[in-house]
Amino acid sequence: MREELISLREEALRDIAAVTNTPAFERVRIAYIGRAGRLTQAGEKMRHVPKDDRPEIGKLLHEVRQVITGALESRAAELRAAMEAAELSGVDPTLPGVAFAAGYLHPLQMLQKQVVEIFRRMGFALAEGPGIETEWHCFDALNTPPDHPARNEQDTFYLPDGRLLRTHTSTVQIRTMETQAPPVRIIAPGAAYRRDEVDATHLAQFTQIEGLYVDEDVTLGDLKGTLEYFFRELFGADTRVRFRPHFFPFTEPSYELDVRAAALGGGERWLELAGCGMVDPAVFERVSERRGDDAYDSRRVRGFAFGFGLERLAMILFGVPDIRMFVENDQRFLSQFSR
Amino acid sequence: MKVSLEWLKDFVPLPESADVLAAALTDGGTEVIGQEERGNIPDKVVVAQILSSEQHPNADRLSVCRVEDGSGQPRQIVCGAKNYKVGDKVPLALPGAVLGKDFKIKAGKLRGVVSDGMMCSAKELGLAEDAEGLLILPPDAPVGHLLGELFQPDTVLELEVTPNRPDLLSIQGIAREVATLTHAKFHVPTISDPTIAPAGERVQLRDGGCPFYSARLIRGVRIAPSPPWLAARLTAVGLRPINNVVDITNYVLLEMGQPLHAFDYGKLEGGIVVRSARDGEKMQALDGSDLTLRAYDLVIADGVKPVALAGVVGGVATSVTEITTDILLESAWFEPTRVRRTAREFGLQTDSSYRFERRVNPAGVLAASARAVELILQVAGGDAENQTLVAGVAPEDAREVFLDNDRCRQLLGMEIANDEISAILERLGLVASDSGLWIVPPFRPDLTREVDLIEEVIRVAGIQRVPSRLRAFPASSGIADRRHDRAEILREKLRGQGFSEARNSHFVSAESLNRAGVEAAQAMTIRNPLGAEQALLRPTLQAGLLAALAHNVRHGTSSVRLFEMGPTFTKEGERVALGIITTGAVTKDTWKTASELTDFYDLKGVVEAVFGTMAVTPSSDAGLSACLESSLTHGILQRVPREVAVFYDAKTPVFYAEVLLDRWLEAEPGVVRVKPLAKFPSVERDLAVVLPTSIPFVEIEHSLQAAKAAHLQEIFLKDVYRDASGEKLDAALRSLTITLTFREATRTLTADEVDCAVATLRDHVKTELGATFRE
Repeated sequence: MREELISLREEALRDIAAVTNTPAFERVRIAYIGRAGRLTQAGEKMRHVPKDDRPEIGKLLHEVRQVITGALESRAAELRAAMEAAELSGVDPTLPGVAFAAGYLHPLQMLQKQVVEIFRRMGFALAEGPGIETEWHCFDALNTPPDHPARNEQDTFYLPDGRLLRTHTSTVQIRTMETQAPPVRIIAPGAAYRRDEVDATHLAQFTQIEGLYVDEDVTLGDLKGTLEYFFRELFGADTRVRFRPHFFPFTEPSYELDVRAAALGGGERWLELAGCGMVDPAVFERVSERRGDDAYDSRRVRGFAFGFGLERLAMILFGVPDIRMFVENDQRFLSQFSR
Repeated sequence: MKVSLEWLKDFVPLPESADVLAAALTDGGTEVIGQEERGNIPDKVVVAQILSSEQHPNADRLSVCRVEDGSGQPRQIVCGAKNYKVGDKVPLALPGAVLGKDFKIKAGKLRGVVSDGMMCSAKELGLAEDAEGLLILPPDAPVGHLLGELFQPDTVLELEVTPNRPDLLSIQGIAREVATLTHAKFHVPTISDPTIAPAGERVQLRDGGCPFYSARLIRGVRIAPSPPWLAARLTAVGLRPINNVVDITNYVLLEMGQPLHAFDYGKLEGGIVVRSARDGEKMQALDGSDLTLRAYDLVIADGVKPVALAGVVGGVATSVTEITTDILLESAWFEPTRVRRTAREFGLQTDSSYRFERRVNPAGVLAASARAVELILQVAGGDAENQTLVAGVAPEDAREVFLDNDRCRQLLGMEIANDEISAILERLGLVASDSGLWIVPPFRPDLTREVDLIEEVIRVAGIQRVPSRLRAFPASSGIADRRHDRAEILREKLRGQGFSEARNSHFVSAESLNRAGVEAAQAMTIRNPLGAEQALLRPTLQAGLLAALAHNVRHGTSSVRLFEMGPTFTKEGERVALGIITTGAVTKDTWKTASELTDFYDLKGVVEAVFGTMAVTPSSDAGLSACLESSLTHGILQRVPREVAVFYDAKTPVFYAEVLLDRWLEAEPGVVRVKPLAKFPSVERDLAVVLPTSIPFVEIEHSLQAAKAAHLQEIFLKDVYRDASGEKLDAALRSLTITLTFREATRTLTADEVDCAVATLRDHVKTELGATFRE
């Protein structure tokens, strides 16, 4: 038994040393310490060892087992290390990473989302209206007289049935007030259409963002505060906003809004970015006639409205030289707007 | 509107610098969009007199002049202008003078003849924007003196006058505004209204478009070029001098805002009749165009013919020319809408129509006439009839408007004292009447309501005094919020699938739809499109996305993955659609992996990744096309037919999907309810079903589901095998390896249970579809 254990030890150490890969290692491991392995069987033979010899043989068996398992473990570690070394040989960590490339959102969409988020923080809800509109919603309700130049066929697209493509998103003001009583606080992005010949700064269809706030105690101060906050959120804390008196049929007083900010190329130049004003009482009158109630009685409610073109804003902000790039859909252009 | 500051100074003292003035006007709502310096005559330009003029020996268009420049030594100058005569005094730039930015005058030869300087036009000297020929100086200009001594430097501002402020379309109106905004004093020389007499038969008003007309006859005028002061003021603001009488009418138009017209009285046949034109009546306008009039055009006629298009343009037949001696000066008031319609129909926007369209001050008609007569007599001589003939009555534009000062403060959200409100309105020319009522002057037709007065108060007080207020109230979200948010989710999902967002014009042409294989008949048409290219509204997104794909392919992008979300227009209404287009490699090749060309199943996978599984019904059309349908959306998925794709220069197969989104966007987003996680392992078995290729997978899937095998949890298609050679498998057949997953929530399944379930499935597919199985 003693000799048998010693030769078992020698053979095992030889076999383990000879192993060079994992399957061979497994075979050797099972051959010696598996359920039917030679060492396991040797252990079972202990029953037949005379009682007196047992302490000595038992001790030897224990030693042999320790030697073999120790050798297996260290061989296993060597094999893992060799395997890892083989796997890593020739690996160059400076090779480029590989990932599935996500696409890009349209820059106008990204900017629009940013704008909407800022107004939502101030408690504005979204609103929508159709692109094909009635003359009443686009002009009459917005206090634009019947012979106003904007209404002629030179400036506005008409459909054969007399409807038109809205020339501004201000129609959404009317659509909203028709169905919703004050207070109203909405932000409405959407397409607008004007009969402009397409060139580097004009598209016949462009994007506007409209806002309206009507309640019992809305003031010109609210208009100022709201738009100042908006532009500072959008362009940064250094943004300066100037309200320049202007004229629009549907607001009074009316202002054009000029902005200066480092984000807009800095400079000393005021950039005209938006139109705004207090809702003209005539607009409330038209809406009231349509609604047949006094929810928008101009003696009780007041409001402000504003609107701006998204393309112009994006052109200045992103340095886009030609407005047509927004509808060209060149992936080399779109892929620059990662985030 | 261009304003000469020198002219403006006649009526109001100006701030020290033009910049301060410009800022005041801009802050007051009249934006200054341009500023130019005029009349800064360069050095070395002197007054010279032309002594002789002869034809240039080598050039038909040039003359050789000898001029006196004050030195006593005649100078020889080659000149191209024709508008002078010997004895005229003209500006002469001596060698060394620099005109404009860097045009240096040198002595030299022109076509072989010595030219020792240059005689100049008003434009070359920066006195006018546009001028032909030499600037002819007055006969008393001192020869040899620097020209700069004769001309005052001037600054010209270009103003953008808003359409509600017709009162600002004159120098005097601007002066009044400047006085209000800068706290200066506005002064107008008082012109006594002329004696008036009813015109009787001499002027007949037969159309409501002209409620008031005045005419003054001046006999014995001498038509000549305007004196320099007059020519200079007109040229400074961009008008070209014509002759003294016409120039005076333009001068008064600019100064007072009242358009005037001078007829050659000798050419009028009978009295003045203001009437609507007869349909088809003809008139040649001053600009030379032949107009065919229509019944709604308002004309000034004599007894025989129309002689002017009322308020728009005069006629050639009775225009003032060099031989005119007697003139009839018209000053009248025309209905804005009539003038606007006629001016627009003929495309004739004149200084006159521009003002009448925006409403001329009816109270200023006679004063302008008197001012013009005074100036004509001064520059052209002659004798005016004592009386101005008038017909009709000027509209009464004065009115009273109520202003509640508290409401003013409430709307503005600022404190402003009653006294200050009153002071502002008074500076604007309003007069306080009874409690809260204000009398509005006739030159401010825009002030008719309380809010108009509030606007004036804050315009003059300045919005910078209004304290900003920022308040936020919670908003309950509505359907538009949901549509917006759900659309954003779609965008993010598509972006994650490697698609970039496109935006195309909503306008399309019938041709582009046909080319894209889209039925154009259903598209909405524009009545007045910008051109055939943009004559329709897009019924689908397909044409635009194909064009976008073509643009990218043509610019060398072989892998195109684009989507667009936006409105489409059909007779049924506006619907938001999502279009997805792709061609070429799914991803970029990398050093590690080569990409595969995208195919039908890639795009189908994208659609399913975004919307979940959709029912797919293969279309009966030729080619590869299928209808997509789920409970919230439907659409199409197709391989774009090759004959269509070639138009767009596609080099690899193109795949396109489009679904309608409205119901999906408006759907209530479901709430997730968590299912318990499995505690016991599942068992998978592969089943290789062999069936004719003609049987779609969806039928096999349905058949497996219909077998109602116990514990079956998932059917997953793992492999499709075909052998075109027919060696290993009949070419008409295919083998589908389907992984079946079985699971029981409460225990581990036994092998027997799974075997039994698989047998059920096999039997069902065999009986129902005639399938065989590969082991």
